[in-house]
Amino acid sequence: MTPTAIYTKHPDYVQRDVAGECILVPIRRTLTEANSIYVLNETGAALWNRIDGQRTAQDIVTDFCNEYEVATDQLAKDFTLLLDDLLSIQAVEEMAR
Amino acid sequence: MIGQDKLSHLPDRFPFSCQWEITCRCNLHCVMCYTDCFNRPDAIRQELATAEILRIMDELAEAGTLELCLTGGEPLARPDFFQLYEHAIRCGFLVTVFSNGTLITETHANRFAALRPHRMEISLHGMTRETFERITQGQGSYDRCLQAIGLLLDRQIPLVLKSTAMTLNRQEILDVKRYVEALGMVRYKLGEEMRPELDGGAGPFQYALSEQGLADLNRQDSDLQRDACRRDSLEPPPCRSGMHSFHIDAYGRLQLCSGNRRQSYDLRKGSFRNGFYEALPTFACDWKVTHEPALIQPTLHHA
Repeated sequence: MTPTAIYTKHPDYVQRDVAGECILVPIRRTLTEANSIYVLNETGAALWNRIDGQRTAQDIVTDFCNEYEVATDQLAKDFTLLLDDLLSIQAVEEMAR
Repeated sequence: MIGQDKLSHLPDRFPFSCQWEITCRCNLHCVMCYTDCFNRPDAIRQELATAEILRIMDELAEAGTLELCLTGGEPLARPDFFQLYEHAIRCGFLVTVFSNGTLITETHANRFAALRPHRMEISLHGMTRETFERITQGQGSYDRCLQAIGLLLDRQIPLVLKSTAMTLNRQEILDVKRYVEALGMVRYKLGEEMRPELDGGAGPFQYALSEQGLADLNRQDSDLQRDACRRDSLEPPPCRSGMHSFHIDAYGRLQLCSGNRRQSYDLRKGSFRNGFYEALPTFACDWKVTHEPALIQPTLHHA
């Protein structure tokens, strides 16, 4: 995770709340992902909801740590993994650093 | 983050999967069709309007429905089909479309490719023009159907081709299956079920294969035989209609399933949530196992 990076959600993913699960549905699918949806765990969903194209990654981590009792280092690691996943499926894009 | 096909944990009652018969209109008049009896102007005028469908769709999305199957009649016979379809995709439903294929043009195929369905299922009734059009009663339908299959395959749209086994096409079912297998990434489904028409007519049954006829057909192919054996040997699973799945007809009536329309909840008048959680649980189904409470329930006293 680059702390100063700003990420934006890609409009080709729709966020759905299905039975309490936060899932991402790609609406422009390739054949290989035609049947795939992506499920975020509770922390992942909370981080995803904070990605707004305005706040930096560090801002999001700080904001999250202010609201929940979590270790900043661990959360930064988790957020890095999540961003890697989201970037790999093109659910988010890096706007600026 | 986990990539998966379906959600693994759902509450006992949750509106996960919807089959929506968005119209009974159709450009064809297949001999075994159970909706064609309402493919007439006076009945079509009663069908849900565009705005009503969009509103109900939004209610389904809000309630958490993920799988949405748009069927008919022929869904593409609605002039507003792509408005509905594209809205459904943008809502984040996994959309399946059941179609006869014959109205799909290159422009339509491009629109499907731009916003892809979860799956398209097209009825392929036979491998000769004569048989196919004897079933559809639509001249030119055979060529148009094959053309649509080609257009969708060219764009790598996930495709299922399916047939209903009947007296009219039993000699060609295996040819259809071989044709589908040769296409590669396409699945084949053979249906055996005939249904009465929605107005109670028994017309489709005159084309039904006898049990012996079905057995003879299945014996000719190891896949079909295996599927038939599996169906015969297993206890049918308990019916989950109304628990995780439900049906909406062309007039906005919420029902347990396509095969059980005895009771309905009118989505023109009431909310989807109310219909699903309050009305559907009270609807009767011959296939559901009911757990009646014991008539005598002794009170326990701990001393």
